[in-house]
This record gives sequence, structure tokens and C-alpha cells, in this order.
Amino acid sequence: MKTFSIGGVHPDDKKISAGSRIEVLPIPKTVYISMAQHLGGPAKAVVAPGDKVKTGQVIGEPTGFISAYVHSSVTGTVKSVGLRKDLAGIPVVHVEIETGPDEWADGIDTSDTLVTDIPQDRQFIIDRIKNNGVVGLGGATFPTHVKLCPPPDKKAECLILNGAECEPYLTSDYRIMLEKTSQIVVGAALMKKVLGVQRAVIGIEENKPEAISAMSAAVADLQKKSPDYSGIEVMTLKKKYPQGGEKQLIDAVMRRQVKSMGLPIDVGAVVQNVATSLAVYDAVQKNMPLISNTLTVTGDCLPADRQKNYLFRIGFPLSYIAEYNGGVPEGAVKIVSGGPMMGKAVSNFDAATLKGSSSILYLTAEQTERKPESNCIRCGKCAEACPMGLEPFLLNKLARNGMTEELEDNAVQDCIECGCCLYSCPANIPLLDVIRIAKGEVIRAIRARTAPKK
Amino acid sequence: MTTTIIWTIAIITLLGVVLAVVLYLVAEKFKVEEDPRIDEVEKVMPGANCGGCGFAGCRAFAQSCVEAMNLDNNFCPVGGNETMKKVAAVLGLEVKEKAPMVAVVRCNGTCSNRPRTNDYGGYSSCKVKSALYSGDTGCFYGCLGCGDCVAACQFGALSMDPETGLPVVDEEKCTACGACVKACPKRIIELRNKGPKNRRVFVSCVNMEKGAAARKACKAACIGCGKCEKACPFGAVKVEHNVAYIDFEKCRLCRKCVVECPTGAIHDVNFPAPAVKPAPKPAAPASAAASAAKPVAQPAAPAAPEVKVSAAEAGKKVEPEKKSEE
Repeated sequence: MKTFSIGGVHPDDKKISAGSRIEVLPIPKTVYISMAQHLGGPAKAVVAPGDKVKTGQVIGEPTGFISAYVHSSVTGTVKSVGLRKDLAGIPVVHVEIETGPDEWADGIDTSDTLVTDIPQDRQFIIDRIKNNGVVGLGGATFPTHVKLCPPPDKKAECLILNGAECEPYLTSDYRIMLEKTSQIVVGAALMKKVLGVQRAVIGIEENKPEAISAMSAAVADLQKKSPDYSGIEVMTLKKKYPQGGEKQLIDAVMRRQVKSMGLPIDVGAVVQNVATSLAVYDAVQKNMPLISNTLTVTGDCLPADRQKNYLFRIGFPLSYIAEYNGGVPEGAVKIVSGGPMMGKAVSNFDAATLKGSSSILYLTAEQTERKPESNCIRCGKCAEACPMGLEPFLLNKLARNGMTEELEDNAVQDCIECGCCLYSCPANIPLLDVIRIAKGEVIRAIRARTAPKK
Repeated sequence: MTTTIIWTIAIITLLGVVLAVVLYLVAEKFKVEEDPRIDEVEKVMPGANCGGCGFAGCRAFAQSCVEAMNLDNNFCPVGGNETMKKVAAVLGLEVKEKAPMVAVVRCNGTCSNRPRTNDYGGYSSCKVKSALYSGDTGCFYGCLGCGDCVAACQFGALSMDPETGLPVVDEEKCTACGACVKACPKRIIELRNKGPKNRRVFVSCVNMEKGAAARKACKAACIGCGKCEKACPFGAVKVEHNVAYIDFEKCRLCRKCVVECPTGAIHDVNFPAPAVKPAPKPAAPASAAASAAKPVAQPAAPAAPEVKVSAAEAGKKVEPEKKSEE
């Protein structure tokens, strides 16, 4: 069984909510749709207070090359366009919409019929993906159409679908792999078509046997129907965190390493999440914009009957979803959006969900409390755990002394912020916190140096 | 035997002489001409090597002074005017006197003014905290309280007040080198004129949110109401992006703005309060006479402890005058 070659840790996977079917959340009275739901320039709001909007209508237009469209997830009246705090308390432009009964914008197919015919026009697929605001749903929310159009001097060889879901607790990808299986495979075939590659691998970790068998069956089934699906395979991966990291997944599947500061396309790989694949299917085959996603509500302190996977529309406040679920459970001291390893702590629970929201995770005091930091004993556990082959103990020392050049020599810019070092440190040193800041500074310095001079 | 010894001595001596000549010629050839005045200037520098002047250290500063045609762009904040006069004397240049500066913490977000909305359990560093989120209070702009500025200060002039959770500047020790200004990720600390007799007036808030939101996050926030701007007879106060700023070059320390401020965001420090306080109008516009004393006492208290008592007195004095005003 394959996995990435260096580093990694094995946190308890705690997929408590794996058995719960995806439920559709009812629409709240008001939704707040953020204009910064993707990596790159925030979208520019193109609606004004008082405007009537339909579900699926464009309300934000991209600004710049790396940016994406934002669509209204509901039908209703725009109440305001202005700054509102996101989950980290940072003011971001949101469009506030008072909701009414759903009325879909023209040209959107809302039926459940599975469309398996792959359009042969490459540009048509890309336009649909771009116009429907599809972004990567694996965490980084990078605009998908940009990723699917590699520069002409680089050739893609293999499409990798990330179904690893290596973060503990999260089960939304698992659920869509069980419930929207064929759609994901069609999405993969669409992206395969765009990239012009012969091979597509869906990588799934061994702890999800049902997903592996369901996906394999769907692939076999579709391959019988059309030659467009040839070359798609399901690959079982050994369970190890951070398997879902782009570079780790390429290593596991293709046995190729992306060089420092390089992109996956340098080794001929394009990685997309399974949820992105589903969004691509909806965008291309149904002309459905990316206005909904699946989110897991989970945590050890949450009663078993409230462990849920919900289909939400973007802009639902987190607090609304929690309220619908029965409120914040007793014993929860920290709420995290995303997985426990890389997710973001929520300081503003009224924040709206985004395209890339994947969970509401309740953690107990015992799980989150940091133990006092002690001295580094040079045990090397962090270096062993680092999937990028870095030496976190050294980077920590250099960062605390502000040695930027040495940090760059020691490749701090390659850190993927997976948190394995922090997880494995017996001295409770806040390695990632320190290294993340240093990484930002070094990357800024590199960009300033390599930027084209005016 | 003797000949061997003589020969050895002779050869070694000769070798020594030849090498000495070579070394001399090389030294002459590659001699670095350095202005002797650099050393002289360096001698009068404080030698703190803090970098506050913008140069790598005192020697780099000295070199820059020697090379420069005038001293307009060079100033040692640590040594101040005294040192600059000495530097000017060495170089035979003229120096413009600069008003001494001091670091000022522009945040009112004490524990009582600004309630905590969440607990931060991460690494105690303002830089790390600000990269993660807006902070553990409702104010996105305010002090994060992890003390990066304290760590940055080489002169021990900053300390965290455990009661307020805000950094406190020791005016005696502060050299206005600006290290704390650079260390603060929220840009709360500013270098301002020390002022005559160390008296100065400043807006102790940088919250750019609209009034209601700012007030909700912190009781003593600047709400951008503009009363101070109107009250200032010298045009020193400007409200921009919902926050007032006092230009210390124009400010004449009349303190009309201090009494006008409805939230007490404007601080006046080191004033002999009872004598100068022209506090008649403070609460007059809004509240009833009974509560008149309160708003005055509140703003004054956090600013300078020594004002505390007198501010209350001033509050009492207020009432008769206020009535006449009406």
C-alpha cells in the first residue's frame, strides 16, 4: 500500500460522524456572503442594497487573474453590502441577503439526473468552471480554472483526486464519496478532459473501505459506458497524516517530489479534492454555481445523535448551523472550522460559512489546552515527523533570533503548516506558531527579490 | 657549527627584512582611506547600537554623518540634541534642534474598558497572535497584550501593566529609538513630541471602525464623532477613517479636545491638573448635572495617576460654570 515517503504522524482518526447521512439545512432568514472566499483578490460586489437576487445569480466578480466569481446562494433582497467580521474577527466585505422562497437563476439544472456525457469542447468546460466560481475545496480554495490551465511550457501527466481526508474528525469528503459517487467520477473525467491527461488517480485512505469500494464500483460502471472514463483508477493509500497535502499525495501516488518552491505541475501532476470534483460536475453538467458544500458538525463532547454531516449553502452563519444542530454542547471550550490539525479556531461564531468551510468541530479543554513550554532536548521527533524533511527545532531557534537568511537556507519556505512538528514535540514548544511567521517573512523577502523590476 | 648559526641568523634576518618591505608595500597599495573624523564622531555617540537612527549601529551613523553635507537627515534619538551638538562640533556643521520624542501607546483597551470575547491559548507573541486572528477582544485594532514591544525595548523603558494588560512607557528611560514602534504588529505605538514639561495630549485609540462598533468593542474607543476636531482652535485635530489624530506640531496643549471627548479617548499627561484644567464644559452637552463629574474623572484616571484626585475636584468645580454656560 502506498503512502508518502518521509515524515507524517498518526493521530487517532475519530471519524465519529462517518455514519450520518448528509442532511440538507433549511435556509435561515438572513445570509451573509463573503467576497473573499478564495485565494487571491477578493471579488467585487456587483449588487447594491435593495436589489433582488435569485439563487445562483452572480453577486461578486473576480478582480484579477487569481480570483473567482461569487454567486448568491439564496433568493431574496440585498440588505447591505459592507464590512462584517469573518471567523477570525477580521473585517471582510459581505453581502447581506434577506431570504425568501427559492427561485433559481436561468439556465441552472436543479434536477437529480446524472449526466455522464462529457462535453468534448475543452474551453466550454473551463468557462463553465470559471463562471460558476469553482474553487479548490481541499482547504486552500485556489480558483480551480487557474489550476486546470497550466502554463503552455508545462505538461500535465496525471490528475490526482484527493479523497484522503487525512484530518481526524472530518467526514464530509467521505460522505460525498458514498452519496455522490458517480458525480465525483464524472467530475474527474471532466478535469481529465480539460488537462488532456490519460491518467486520473483517486487516492483514498485505507480507513474508508466503503468509500473505496463505492468509488471503484462507480468507476468500473462508468468505464463500461464511455471511453471518456478510461484511465481513472482508485488507489488505496496507507493511513498517515498529512496524506492530503498536495506534495505528499503526489509523492504517494506518483513517487515524484516537487522541488522547493515548485508547483505540482512541475512534475506533471494536478491535484484536486473530491469535493472540488463534485463542484466541477455541478458547474459543468448542471451549470450550477458553487453555492453549497458539505460540512461536518462533530466533536467528542457532542452527543452521538448530533454528530452530523450537513449540506449548507454559503453564507449561512456558523452559529445558525450550530443552533440547528442543538446548540454548542457542554464541555466545548474551543470551536474549530476545519480539521483539528490545520483548521482555524473560530473567535467569531456569527461568521458566515464560506465555499471551503468543512466543519464545526467542538474541542474540550483537555484537547486544546497547551502545556507549558520547556526546553528543546534535541530528540529530533519534529524532524522525523516533518513530511517536508525540514528541521523544525532548528527553524524555531533561527526564527526566534530573527535570522532570515539562515531560515531561507534551511528551507522554511517549504513548510506546509501541517502541524506534525507541534503534534510530536515532547517539550510542547510552539514550533508551528513560530515557524509560520518566519515562513511568511521569508516568502515576502523572496517575492520582493524575484519580483520583476519596474 | 658557528657558521651554521651565523648563516641561520643572517638568512632569517634577511627574510624578515624582505617580508617587512613586501608587507609595507602591500599595505601602502591597498590602504583604505578612512576619515579620522568617523572615529571622533563615534566617540561622542552613546554607543547603544540600537539602530534607532536607521543605521546599523553607531559607527555606521558616524560614517553617514561625516559623508553627509549637513545633518538634516541624521539624528540620534538616544543621544538627542546634546549628542547631535557634539557631533556638529566635531564636523563643523550646524544642527537643527529637534524636540525630544517619546513612545506613546495609543490604546485605551484596559481589561475594564474592553471586555474579552474569547481566550487566547496560543504562543504568547503579538506577531503570532495578530497573524492568527483579530485578538481576544472585540477590537480588531487594539493592543494584543503579549508584550512584543517590551521584548523589543533595549532600554527597559517598557513594561506590561498586569492590571490594564497594556504596555506602559517609562518616560525617563525611553529614548525614542522606535524599536517598539516596529515591533507592534497593530501599529499602536507612535513616537510623539515629548512636549514642554513633558506635557502632551494625544488620542489614545486607533480603532477605525464606525462609532457604534468601536464603542461596543471598547468603552474608551475613539468613535470618530469629530467633537475634538471642532473644539480645537489650532486645527491640530483631524478625524480620518473614524479615528481622530492630533498633530503634535500644531497642538498647543489647550486641552479643549480632552474635555470634549465623550469617551475619554483623548489623554493628557503630566499636566498639573487642578491649575490648568479648564474643565467647565466636559459633560455639559449630554448628561445631567449630577453625573457631570463622572465622565471627567474617568478619562483622566487611566492617563496619569497623579491627576486622579484633582480631576474629581475639577469635576466639582465644573457645575457652577456649566450652568452659566447654559
